[in-house]
Amino acid sequence: LKLEILSPGGLCMAQDAGRPGFRRLGIPPAGAMDPAAMRLANRLLDNPPAAPVLECLHGARFRVLEPGPIALAGFGHARAWQARAGELIAIGPELPGVWHALALPGGLAARRWLDSASVCPRAGLGAPLMKGERVDNAGANGVGTLPSDWPTGVKCRYPADAQLEAAAEGAPPIRVWPGPQWAELSEAARRLFFSQSWRVSPRSDRAGYRLEGEPVPTPAGNLASEGVRVGSIQVPPDGQPIVTLHDGPTVGGYAKIALIDADDLRRLVQTRPGQSVCFRRMA
Amino acid sequence: MARRRIAALPYGPDAWLLHFAEQPGEAAFDTARRISRQLDTAPPAGLKESVPGYTTVLLEFDSPEAADAARGDWLKALAQRLRSPADDLGTDSGRCHDIPVRYDGPDLQRVAEHSGLTVAEVIVRHSEPIYRVALIGFAPGFPYLDGLDPSLIVPRLDQPRTRVEAGSVAIGGEHTGIYPLPGPGGWNLIGRTTVTLFDPDRAHCLLVPGDLVRFVVAEGTVS
Repeated sequence: LKLEILSPGGLCMAQDAGRPGFRRLGIPPAGAMDPAAMRLANRLLDNPPAAPVLECLHGARFRVLEPGPIALAGFGHARAWQARAGELIAIGPELPGVWHALALPGGLAARRWLDSASVCPRAGLGAPLMKGERVDNAGANGVGTLPSDWPTGVKCRYPADAQLEAAAEGAPPIRVWPGPQWAELSEAARRLFFSQSWRVSPRSDRAGYRLEGEPVPTPAGNLASEGVRVGSIQVPPDGQPIVTLHDGPTVGGYAKIALIDADDLRRLVQTRPGQSVCFRRMA
Repeated sequence: MARRRIAALPYGPDAWLLHFAEQPGEAAFDTARRISRQLDTAPPAGLKESVPGYTTVLLEFDSPEAADAARGDWLKALAQRLRSPADDLGTDSGRCHDIPVRYDGPDLQRVAEHSGLTVAEVIVRHSEPIYRVALIGFAPGFPYLDGLDPSLIVPRLDQPRTRVEAGSVAIGGEHTGIYPLPGPGGWNLIGRTTVTLFDPDRAHCLLVPGDLVRFVVAEGTVS
């Protein structure tokens, strides 16, 4: 299967499970912003769960140059179908969530650095896809065949409902663990953090999501730079939290008051700018 | 003085932050090197990744169980080892790198004004010391260098630049460093080097913690 990028939309690039293990060299892990969407899209095509996918924001559009099976999954949507030559595929505004994974049979054919195909422009590892570029699948025949468990005559398939998560509306609070500087936070600051809804700022990207709300007073004093985990809630002096994500700095000097639970991180990442989230302390 | 103790700070179910010094400095650096060697030679079971900082090491594990276990016996053994006299640190000294710098950065004047020196004096004082790589972080291959002349301590820019060129030599607070790749940055830019610090194609970093760096004044420096 072969695709031409008609428009990269907000962003479109190859991602897989990322390259953990190199933060001591300043290299961020990168990887799919929504790993569950990546795994689901891959599973619909019988690919290995972390085969490279095209991860895109809204507005990305593709033309199918060579036909084959293809799968698209995100936060609250997923399907796989037989794409025909000439067909247009669009990541339209009606699709819920923020990040979408497009899986190709056998995975996306992609260059690898340090054992991962995850593009990380901030680290000089590859670049986002541009209009007019073409991508191939990594399947042996260059076109790809339907997974063996697709019944004959079936043109499209959807995952079982259980594999889809409800959209952000009315979702329970995102669970967090205490971070290294949690103990230094005053009781009032903790209450303030947990009692309010935080709006996701438009100034959010693969390095981090900024949250807007009533400022959380931070512990005084500068912190000597120290390792930062993906999902850390850091509070700079202005009191507006930043959630460090996959392409973020590997060390930092802001107070890390909490860490978003790994299972809940995708719910934050899939929250659109302007929408709100709230947090609950892990029991 | 209160006895310095090492502590495991909480950082999620499958990780913790090993805090080993109250502030950066010579003692913290030595302790960091000893911990780093312990991690290399006798890591705790299930350790997935470690990220050194100035006074901390972030330890991430395969599972919450491995994180809990390491917080017990491994940490106790480490604390015991750190209380004993320093051992064979001499075998551990880093390589020394001469890095040519053309001192013509856009913030050279700002640094001079802030420190009450002439530009020429700034250049002399910046190129005289032998710096030590305290840690690599922020961006791939970005060295935080210790050893800056205290008169050159200049706060970061209020508004970070959206783009700093690769090879830019800069001062940020009490540190000096080199931007390996183009990208945003808030440090004071004083010069440029053509040395490659991070090669994305090979994903190779020139410097590692413990290495020594000397800046050599190159042609094109403002006079």
